[in-house]
Amino acid sequence: MRLRRTDPHTLAGAYAVDALNAADRESFERHLVSCEACRAEAASLRDAAGRLAEATAAVPPARLRGLVLAEAARTRQQPPPVRVAERVRRSWHGVGWPAAPRMAVAIAGVGILVALALGTLLINDQHRLRVAEVQRAQIAAVLNAPDADIMTVPAQTRGSATVVMSHADHALVLTTARLPVLPPTECYQVWLMGTHRIRSAGRLPAPKQGMTAPMIVAGVVAGDRMGVTIEPAAGSPRPSSRPVLMLSLPSD
Amino acid sequence: MTAELPGERSPVTSGSELAGLLAKVARGDEAAFAGVYDRFGTLVYGLVRRVVRDPAQSEEVTQEVLLEVWRTASRFDPGEGSARSWLMTLAHRRAVDRVRSAQASVQREARAAVAETDYDVVAEEVETRLDAQRVRRCLETLTELQRESVTLAYYGGYTYREVAALLGVAVGTVKTRMRDGLIRLRDCLGTES
Repeated sequence: MRLRRTDPHTLAGAYAVDALNAADRESFERHLVSCEACRAEAASLRDAAGRLAEATAAVPPARLRGLVLAEAARTRQQPPPVRVAERVRRSWHGVGWPAAPRMAVAIAGVGILVALALGTLLINDQHRLRVAEVQRAQIAAVLNAPDADIMTVPAQTRGSATVVMSHADHALVLTTARLPVLPPTECYQVWLMGTHRIRSAGRLPAPKQGMTAPMIVAGVVAGDRMGVTIEPAAGSPRPSSRPVLMLSLPSD
Repeated sequence: MTAELPGERSPVTSGSELAGLLAKVARGDEAAFAGVYDRFGTLVYGLVRRVVRDPAQSEEVTQEVLLEVWRTASRFDPGEGSARSWLMTLAHRRAVDRVRSAQASVQREARAAVAETDYDVVAEEVETRLDAQRVRRCLETLTELQRESVTLAYYGGYTYREVAALLGVAVGTVKTRMRDGLIRLRDCLGTES
């Protein structure tokens, strides 16, 4: 269709008034990832659109107040995004995307991750030991890098991901905890989203007791974002759903 | 065109007040949540009612929106935009989701005529007449096609493709008119308030 060739910038208005269908919205949000100016414009247009509601204000039926307050009183609230750190970075722009916290590595935290990484890899089957050894060396290198950063980010759904990243090694180590269990027909797939392209970093390993074994992701470029989507079990060449988790990787 | 930068936001009535309330709501403060309802319930309900039309469904959606505010107040990030914008986005998305589910849209059309009548009565009770007037005045500064594109999408809950079909113009035209219209609206509201 001719539509596909149009400049994504022109969707900013339609996006701000929620006039995109799911597929258009997803592709526009993917565009936003790599376009700072577009994010600023989208936010300002959304702000303007929201003010249209001032012309439609209407007093709700009186009984609604009691219903809403009573329902709230018996509803558990979501916890804030886990602040591993003081320094907060903005992640995926849009309502509800949590901020990605970050800090310089706490030695103790890394120690736990190292233990976890080595423990998990050592119990692997014998025939996988060669691969495991290489991965273990890579993982250990990242975890012990002098410039390593550790970040934890909550998922949209449930659970969280913890990332240790080394800029010098252009690599990160990813573990997740308590993500919703997927049916066998689906998997979690990890993506690196750069300015110009999105590339797959592979599928998350199957969880054990709710946690996934540390996974090494190499070839990280400054300014990349890491996203996790739900894909068919065999994986996809490109993300086919909205990320359940997004993280801005530190660029310095 | 004004000199307003894309990142700047016009001062919004009660915007910072809402941010303060949300911070308390995030900590489980039920009185603050009641405050959100009392100050912003008319905005949420009015918008939902305008999009959804059906009174019973509008109440349900309003309830969903406010409960979402209660549940996710801790996720509001001032760095991502104003509290007001966050709230109205929640409300609008919920309302649009409701009307786009096939079953609901059938019901909406069937009941639209009935809903229209008492909606005006309800709107009469509203105190925020000045805000409403300012928005309407700013909408008047848009070209007709810009205004129709923006309002059919925002108040009508239509996708831009549906708006194009309704107006009998090209899809690309609607997209640019929506964007240009919102830019004009933003600039008008920004200079007026």
